[in-house]
Amino acid sequence: MQRSELHRRLERIDDVSWRIPRAARDDMRVDGVVYADDALIAALGDDPALDQVANVATLPGIQGASLAMPDIHWGYGFCIGGVAATDPAEGGVVSPGGVGYDINCGVRLLRTDLDEHDLDGRLERLIEALLAHVPTGVGRSGPYHFERRELLALMREGVPFLRRRGLADDDDVAHCESGGCIEDARPELVSGLALERGADQCGTVGSGNHFVEVLVVDRVADAAVAAAFGLAQGQVCVLIHSGSRGLGYQVCDDALRALRGVPARYGIDLPDRQLACAPVDSEEGQHYLGAMRAAANYAFCNRQLIAQQVREVFERVFARPWQRLGLELVYDVAHNIAKLEPHQVDGVEKLLCVHRKGATRAFPAGHAEVPAAYRAVGQPVMVPGDMGRASWVLVGAPAAMARSFGTTCHGAGRALSRKAALKAAKGRDVRSELAARGVIARASSRRGLDEEQPDAYKDVDLVVDVVHRAGLSTRVARLRPLGVIKG
Amino acid sequence: MPWQVTDHTADMALRIEASTEAALFEEAARALTSLFVDDPATIEPREEFGFELRAADRDDLLFDWLQTLVVAFELRHMLLRCFRVTLEAGGLHASAQGERFDPARHRLAHEVKAITYHGLAIRASHDGWRAEVIVDV
Repeated sequence: MQRSELHRRLERIDDVSWRIPRAARDDMRVDGVVYADDALIAALGDDPALDQVANVATLPGIQGASLAMPDIHWGYGFCIGGVAATDPAEGGVVSPGGVGYDINCGVRLLRTDLDEHDLDGRLERLIEALLAHVPTGVGRSGPYHFERRELLALMREGVPFLRRRGLADDDDVAHCESGGCIEDARPELVSGLALERGADQCGTVGSGNHFVEVLVVDRVADAAVAAAFGLAQGQVCVLIHSGSRGLGYQVCDDALRALRGVPARYGIDLPDRQLACAPVDSEEGQHYLGAMRAAANYAFCNRQLIAQQVREVFERVFARPWQRLGLELVYDVAHNIAKLEPHQVDGVEKLLCVHRKGATRAFPAGHAEVPAAYRAVGQPVMVPGDMGRASWVLVGAPAAMARSFGTTCHGAGRALSRKAALKAAKGRDVRSELAARGVIARASSRRGLDEEQPDAYKDVDLVVDVVHRAGLSTRVARLRPLGVIKG
Repeated sequence: MPWQVTDHTADMALRIEASTEAALFEEAARALTSLFVDDPATIEPREEFGFELRAADRDDLLFDWLQTLVVAFELRHMLLRCFRVTLEAGGLHASAQGERFDPARHRLAHEVKAITYHGLAIRASHDGWRAEVIVDV
């Protein structure tokens, strides 16, 4: 891959944001804006991610700027941490490359009534039981199998479908982004192959960077907001990271095939085939959006069913029903998605197609999309870090609406490639190193732990510091990992 | 080696070289298999499988060929080796030998989500053919 020359063209806007000027390339329609401090920009070096920010700036109908969050790194199509809003009324496009293969990959946070001392002598058993009970890793299917008719209903209705089956409660629905169901999903447009790939994977974690983690709140940064989210110092929580599994991957793949030749038909010249796209209002664009929403609803259900299995494990280990352990959903949020949302652009309200690829919605207090329980404080945002250091809970902030279409970061962002991480792990025992730091890590493969070792990621505290200072979202609580299961 | 796994920050990049275009497709399949299992030599050629694919151009054909192998592994748990590819106008015929995943003998390496188009291009080089493929894991 060609390394980016664009780092030389970066212009500082302020302490936490940088501009790639539109003039840097002939084909950019808008500027690129990267949220990062000096250290994160320096760490980015000549990573091709900046080229990807510029590539996205060429998309028809793009509004404002092509954005990147501080966890930016090289992806395919969009960079990871990429955000772009297009206006359908101005020929704006939707691109599967702005969502990625893992449609509605996201995170959910469960709280508990337990504190760290309640885990004394039981943590290892809890983590081992999670590994045994919750399917993780390559090729694992889950205990839930849905017939075709059921799968179609699940993709149309999302988490409310599971509520009808007794697999979710009212709070599980209310505390999901979009109530666990993105409207106008069209499961009938999801291919037979995608249905086959998804039939027995709903309720499975998968591998790569997906996980189930047990954590403790080790610092409360905003007591009032933390209290509104039901979080307090010393409290045990569970963080779940997964997406739409094989079903979503296939929906994206089908879309990319269907879009072969389509950009040229609409006179769209693309710098990267992975940015294949169609006007939002075209038949091809609507087809993708309908199938993508169906896959997104599948992903909400996947995380709900993982949460149900986590609840079953806690019930067994603590010999109490999960309701008496307070194992309630704080929030579930997507970080790979495209959604139609109203936003102000130069003082005019427009209905935009907002792509978030490795970026999280972060709506402020008072926004109608924030669940009633949190509307006075703002939408919860979960930012997983790495399994050795920390993760964060943030809250959406007003400036995000003007600066980033209501968006913030989604994680720490990788610092090392998987290959470099494996090399760095040679001769070491990552599992023992984590144990020495007080983290019990279990994975279905040793390689999984080596590739995902803490050093493979940027320091999440630094990433969160940028979004806090930029006003995209503000700190609520820092969570320290106690144990994790991975693929 | 006619292929290598190279650095990509979040995913995996395959760099493939071969003397003929058909051999490039075979090497690409071997490279992809190395992402499925730690040691492809543990795959025994117990069954033979045939493939026929059509595509508008060779880049699309390579994408479809590799994606077919991703789905064969995910849905049928098929691990393959001994790839033989014949290219023709507008498509390919291929055969491969292999077996079903056996946890007692195969150690899985990655969950391959998909093949990506980012940077995907088949190029003629002075001594043959080259391609680079980024794989989402």
